[in-house]
Amino acid sequence: MSDPLLKVQNLRIELTTRDDVVPVIDDLSFELAAQESISFVGESGCGKSMTALAIMGLLPEKIGRVASGSIIFDGEDLTQASEDRLREIRGNDISMIFQEPMTSLNPVYTVGEQIAEVLRAHQGLGQQAAWTMAEELLDAVRIPNAKRRVSDYPFQMSGGQRQRVMIAMALACKPKILIADEPTTALDVTVQAQIFDLLNDLRRQTGTSIIMITHDMGAVAEMSERMIVMYAGRGAEIGGVDEIIEKPLHPYTQGLIACVPHILATVSAERERLLEVPGIVPSLREFGKDQCLFASRCPVRTDICLQKRPPIETDPSGHSVACWHGKDAS
Amino acid sequence: MTQDSPQGAPLLQVENLGVRFAIKRGGLFGEKRYLYAVDDVSFSLKRGETLAIVGESGSGKTTTALAIARLVDAYTGRVRVAEQDVLGIEGEDLRQIRRKVQFIFQDPYSSLNPRQRAEDIVREPLQSLTETSSEDQQKIIDRLFASVGLRPEQKRLFPHQFSGGQRQRIGIARALATQPELIICDEPVSALDVAVQAQILNLLRDLQAEFGLTYLFISHDLGVVQHMCDSIAVMYMGRVVEYTDRRSLFNDPKHPYTTALLSAVPSIDKKRRAEMKRISIHGDPPDPLAPQKGCHFANRCPMATDTCQQSQPALTDKGNGHMVACHLVT
Ligand SMILES: Nc1ncnc2c1ncn2[C@@H]1O[C@H](COP(=O)(O)OP(=O)(O)OP(=O)(O)O)[C@@H](O)[C@H]1O
Ligand SMILES: Nc1ncnc2c1ncn2[C@@H]1O[C@H](COP(=O)(O)OP(=O)(O)OP(=O)(O)O)[C@@H](O)[C@H]1O
Ligand code: SF4
Ligand SMILES: [Mg+2]
Ligand SMILES: [Mg+2]
Repeated sequence: MSDPLLKVQNLRIELTTRDDVVPVIDDLSFELAAQESISFVGESGCGKSMTALAIMGLLPEKIGRVASGSIIFDGEDLTQASEDRLREIRGNDISMIFQEPMTSLNPVYTVGEQIAEVLRAHQGLGQQAAWTMAEELLDAVRIPNAKRRVSDYPFQMSGGQRQRVMIAMALACKPKILIADEPTTALDVTVQAQIFDLLNDLRRQTGTSIIMITHDMGAVAEMSERMIVMYAGRGAEIGGVDEIIEKPLHPYTQGLIACVPHILATVSAERERLLEVPGIVPSLREFGKDQCLFASRCPVRTDICLQKRPPIETDPSGHSVACWHGKDAS
Repeated sequence: MTQDSPQGAPLLQVENLGVRFAIKRGGLFGEKRYLYAVDDVSFSLKRGETLAIVGESGSGKTTTALAIARLVDAYTGRVRVAEQDVLGIEGEDLRQIRRKVQFIFQDPYSSLNPRQRAEDIVREPLQSLTETSSEDQQKIIDRLFASVGLRPEQKRLFPHQFSGGQRQRIGIARALATQPELIICDEPVSALDVAVQAQILNLLRDLQAEFGLTYLFISHDLGVVQHMCDSIAVMYMGRVVEYTDRRSLFNDPKHPYTTALLSAVPSIDKKRRAEMKRISIHGDPPDPLAPQKGCHFANRCPMATDTCQQSQPALTDKGNGHMVACHLVT
């Protein structure tokens, strides 16, 4: 097997907060193959966006830094790359759709101007060529009447259309990796379905790999082959999507799946009570402690869980889990 | 907790409800036009049950709920709560209705006054809407804090000292304070993480069982709706397009919009994904300010015929009380 397109190894990202330096990402490793789609799931504040920002070389200035580990993209360690080199990679090889589409589009330029700008800066296209290409991209992301809409300002578009503009911009430089951070939160499910179809088509047609960040296990199941369950900055469980959904090994993954009322194919009269995962994600201050950070919420916790961080165990199929009782927890 | 109405009479009856917003177009003499946000909406809800309203963004769910609670003005139609007319009343009668109909809002962050202590937030409706003595108020507050799973010492805290889920619990306690007949929940869990969401959904169902509460429940999450509701109304552009009980809607959806909506929900259920052929609907809903003759869904409907372009289908009983507004459903 050839080398993966992206290989993240033992990544540790530290944030300098008012009272401390804390590992917001703590010993995270995973791989992404060309044309593969991998999803990050987990509750708010578990470090999903931070992982994406680290790959993009966009950690919060002054307070965030890569403390150790590597991010090997196409043979090159991005943690060692210069700011110029990272900018080049962001423009050409890895692009990102951010969590809030409205804040990442500039309200005073038309969407066409904004896409054309990316094309001029990174693909070296001329004025006219960039504009034509912008039209084609809007058409590719299925904005009806692209020729006319290319001169619209962001406020003239619906939320779903704006998100499609963001995708068009991210695709302008034909990236090898597209990172989509909650690309459909706040959109109607019918619009979400269109965006998912669009992303899947793009993956088939252009071979782009996709890293998706989401809260929704259903979305993971529809979009990705593999997933990473994040908890408090650590990878709790990593493996094939079907395998994990069928037989989650980590108690947190089990909770995440069981606490959601999933839509059923056939509805009967009875309704089971939802499983509750008590409590909430620990605050950043707790990150990095030498114990299992899920222990306070875990139904199968024992003494060791509070005394030592569980090691990451990986089975031959590549399914890994970080839990003292991850083998018998099922 | 509440006195029963005569056998069979629904707690909430909405008949031909209409809400329109005046939109000024252009200068001083710009003609006045109306946006019909809620158009000829009818449904009813039995005591102790839950009616869900679903539909895409802007379809009029919140406006319907606000009109029922007399928080926006309806221009036509009839709303009855416990056999009493709600529209057109003023003064003491209106105050009584405000006591009987309470709202739980989507955003636990902005719907609570940041300068009030938790107990005073819950006390507020008791003071403004009832004649309860301050001694009894305190008893009610203490009981409510226990019912929604907050600790007594948390009564003195301010909203920012609570987590999102806890803030939503305060919002629920406030809504319960006046022993309302009807509780309107507008996206009560969509701002919450899945684990906390499960806690709140279980709480709402427990309280319903304990106090015989009646919910009008608005959510865009069809899994949540499937779990919570007894009957369901699907709205599209201000109108109800399908209205029936829970099992009929999910097991036998009839309106093309409902079918498309259900098929768009991402699912972890492999069987459902295999069986469900996604019906994509393209384009956007038509401009709500430009009235059209036919079915509002016609421009996106995969089945539309000439009749659909010409005349608006009425909501009619297609058997066993399964109400559908579509020319093609028999
Ligand atoms: N600029 C920043 N300064 C300080 N702390 C930050 C900053 N950005 C993020 N954090 C903290 O880092 C942790 C991880 O944040 P991150 O944004 O990666 O979470 P997430 O998993 O993407 O959550 P969500 O689902 O809410 O988007 C959180 O505790 C967050 O508060
Ligand atoms: N105060 C107002 N003035 C003018 N138009 C309004 C007002 N409130 C709502 N509308 C319009 O009425 C329509 C229905 O809005 P409403 O908020 O009821 O939709 P909704 O179904 O609750 O949507 P969402 O799922 O986004 O909450 C929309 O077109 C909206 O823009
Ligand atoms: S290590 Fe212990 S506390 Fe942590 S998830 Fe596993 S069993 Fe639970
Ligand atoms: Mg995030
Ligand atoms: Mg609404």
